[in-house]
Amino acid sequence: MNENAPPQMADQNGMAQPERVFGDPLLTVDNISLSFGGVKALTNISFNILEHEIRAIIGPNGAGKTSMLNVINGFYHPQEGTITYKGNVRSAMRPHMAAAQGIARTFQNVALFKGMSTLDNIMTGRLLKMHNVRAPETGVWGLDHVLSWGAGALDFVTQCLYWGPNEKEEIRQRSYCEEIIDFLEIQDIRKTPVGRLPYGLQKRVELARALAMEPELLLLDEPMAGMNVEEKEDMSRFVLDVNDEFGTTIALIEHDMGVVMDISDRVVVLDYGRKLADGTPDEVRSDQGVIDAYLGVAH
Amino acid sequence: MADAGALDTFPKLMRHNAQVRGDRPAMREKALGIWQTWTWSQAQDEVKAFAMGLVALGVERGDKVLIVGDNRPRLYWTMCTAQAIGAIPVPVYQDSVAREMAYVVDHAGAKVAVVEDQEQVDKLMEIRAEVPGLETIVYQDNRGLRNYTQDFLKDYAKVLDQGRALIKEDAGRYDREVDAGKGSDESIMLYTSGTTGKPKGVVLTFDNVISMAKAGVEFEKLTDKEEVLAYLPMAWVGDHVFSFGQSYIAGFCVSCPESGATVMHDLRELGPSYFFAPPRIFENLLTSVMIRMQDASKFKQRWFKYFLDHAKQVGEKILDGEPVSSSDRFKYRLGEFFVYGPLKNVLGFSRIRLAYTAGEAIGPEIFQFYRSLGINLKQLYGSTEASVFITIQPDGEIRPDTVGKAIPGVELKLADDGEVLFRSPGVFKEYFKNPEATADTKTADGWVHTGDAGMMTPEGHLRIIDRAKDVGKLNNGSLFAPKFLENKLKFYPNIKEAVAFGHERDYVTAFINIDQEAMGSWAERNEVAYASYQELATNPKVQEIIAGHIREVNADLAKDPQLASAQIRRFLILHKELDADDGELTRTRKVRRSTIAERYEPLIAALYDGSKQAHIETQVTFEDGREGAMKADLDIVELSLDEGRKQAA
Repeated sequence: MNENAPPQMADQNGMAQPERVFGDPLLTVDNISLSFGGVKALTNISFNILEHEIRAIIGPNGAGKTSMLNVINGFYHPQEGTITYKGNVRSAMRPHMAAAQGIARTFQNVALFKGMSTLDNIMTGRLLKMHNVRAPETGVWGLDHVLSWGAGALDFVTQCLYWGPNEKEEIRQRSYCEEIIDFLEIQDIRKTPVGRLPYGLQKRVELARALAMEPELLLLDEPMAGMNVEEKEDMSRFVLDVNDEFGTTIALIEHDMGVVMDISDRVVVLDYGRKLADGTPDEVRSDQGVIDAYLGVAH
Repeated sequence: MADAGALDTFPKLMRHNAQVRGDRPAMREKALGIWQTWTWSQAQDEVKAFAMGLVALGVERGDKVLIVGDNRPRLYWTMCTAQAIGAIPVPVYQDSVAREMAYVVDHAGAKVAVVEDQEQVDKLMEIRAEVPGLETIVYQDNRGLRNYTQDFLKDYAKVLDQGRALIKEDAGRYDREVDAGKGSDESIMLYTSGTTGKPKGVVLTFDNVISMAKAGVEFEKLTDKEEVLAYLPMAWVGDHVFSFGQSYIAGFCVSCPESGATVMHDLRELGPSYFFAPPRIFENLLTSVMIRMQDASKFKQRWFKYFLDHAKQVGEKILDGEPVSSSDRFKYRLGEFFVYGPLKNVLGFSRIRLAYTAGEAIGPEIFQFYRSLGINLKQLYGSTEASVFITIQPDGEIRPDTVGKAIPGVELKLADDGEVLFRSPGVFKEYFKNPEATADTKTADGWVHTGDAGMMTPEGHLRIIDRAKDVGKLNNGSLFAPKFLENKLKFYPNIKEAVAFGHERDYVTAFINIDQEAMGSWAERNEVAYASYQELATNPKVQEIIAGHIREVNADLAKDPQLASAQIRRFLILHKELDADDGELTRTRKVRRSTIAERYEPLIAALYDGSKQAHIETQVTFEDGREGAMKADLDIVELSLDEGRKQAA
């Protein structure tokens, strides 16, 4: 891969490179520390992710990258520090709250429903966008609750019968999924159980499911792991396209430095749970601390 | 002034179809998982608007319009659109790399290119500096093109709007343009892939294409009720006649698959009644069925085998209308219910009335397999220079080893050296900007040299042996027809590609490409671990299996005294698949002998110097055009020849 290629790859024909425009910080983590018992996974980490940006988190094995993603999407609760997402400060989010607020993610080890088809897997990503899914009722048991329960039961029956508004809803959701299938070029595996797909395609299905949530912030945990060169190129293309077409902000963890340096706008480097560097790919590449960490200088 | 009433051009046929069957489907395409249909009158409207849009872009009569992309309704209409305003469409293979495309754009002098998507736009932009004549690129799918702001890039939808505006100004212009066209005008230019040298642009007139398409429609009695799936490259003459020419003449609907990878799903959903596929596709389908059957339960496997054996005995006779006992007929019906019907449904052949195969020899077992299921599969012989049809097998006279009789209107003769010559109304006008090649191929009185060596069977059928120039001789003077050997080898599902050597040598040797799908399935069932194609290909057990196949071929050759010395004595399995991107195959997947001889020179030398191993380093081109090197040490396997039976014969 060309080390000097600018972050966007579209200009191989000498085209004028469009200026990358970023918005306000979409997410800011401030002084985050996380420990499991006596093990300190993250220490005083602060950085932000700007709207429309592709942000990479890199670092050697065990540096705390996945922990950082887990903190962002509310799976881990840091002991110290704050997370500001879309202007709201909170110390911790629950994963379903994060999802409802537009944070979607993929996993380092593919986490799909292996026995279900590609299409059904993507449809699960639409769950929160379905109009007839009710939030759990809270409060005292009363008439409201009974009525709501009754409406829910009716809803369940019409869903089973694929009838009335539920039919329309299903068609609406399906057509959105089809847009994503078209976008990621996985038409041919639409009805294939994902367990039968090769790893590279499973990764793509997982991305499709995350996209089905129409996320504002997309967290990708090693999207290219275990892929060959051609699959990596395809995936890079898709990540760039998602960012470009949908305007989705992306935070990704990746080990392939070529890929990271090519597609990301800014990179944050972690090592032993500490932030080592933060900046554009060029700045990070020339940072002595980063070089030492990767070449293995004794700590 | 041309006769406006005659249906002698495709735009006139389109207009005619919009009038007589305006509400019937003309084209279908699967978009977002659902089949979308356009009727003939809708198609006519779009063609009209786009034609005027091209006029607005400055396209004039006689200009060349490049068309690149997968099979899409809009690209098919672009052909008719260009023809409507007197321009000549030049479809190009959509998987051509940029430098191949540069040659065609430059040679044809294309002024406008109408392409499918970003992939094709990128390729054309890469070569734009070399081909200044290319003024405008119109793209149909704007995905990924948002940041492309160059003026010469136009969105198809915008061009359509421009065209509609022009129609408002001058409503009669389109019809005047169409009426100005006549049958003797150039209708299309198709670049032949060519196993040697640069591609040649074959110029066909409306009369050529329409006469032959019509001959085919009449010969096979095609109607406007046919269902056709257009999935072969638009730049190939067969697709042009089957999915474009014949559709306009018979008025049937042509459907485009969702993507290249979904063809098999789409085929099954659509259930075409008229189907063309090269032998390779029939082979692949059969291979995949057999692989899936191996995973079926023991009971199903026995059931399957029992009825297939029965079909093998009587199926073809029933199809050809020959007498068959009523108990056999009854058993065949049962088989149809339990096995053949469901199998045809899985393959998408439930409604098939007519299937063609051509381009290469088809394995007799494969050919008979499909026919025994009741699928009317026939072979035909044709070429770009003939507007496809030269010979077709008439119903009831089907043999696996011939290509049939000359169809009405075609004259056929054999030269002294066995080369096949033909003359027909479909004979091409010329090779574009290449009068020498035209004169070499086409004689003054209209006979065309095909370059194929053939012979006539006693029943008057044509049998093709090999490319005339490839037929060689071994040092002992006996006949060496490489393609004949290669085809015999390729009939084994485990062998994907083979290249035989022997001309002016002492004995015959071969390169083998294994079929990863078939061998991979074998490896999985036998717990043979492998990480890459190369590792699988160099596995000794795989070599053993391939050696077994070659022994069988040799035994078969030994039965024929003329061919006995063409037995394969030494072979090796190549470490990589032969690939069109590396120039080893043509885009239609025919072997390029000279390129292979050059690239693998050390391997060929090793095949003849008696060594047990050979080392090779090759350049490979990845799909994105980048290059890399591959190296490998390959074992050479030596076989003892089948002598016993030779003496017995």
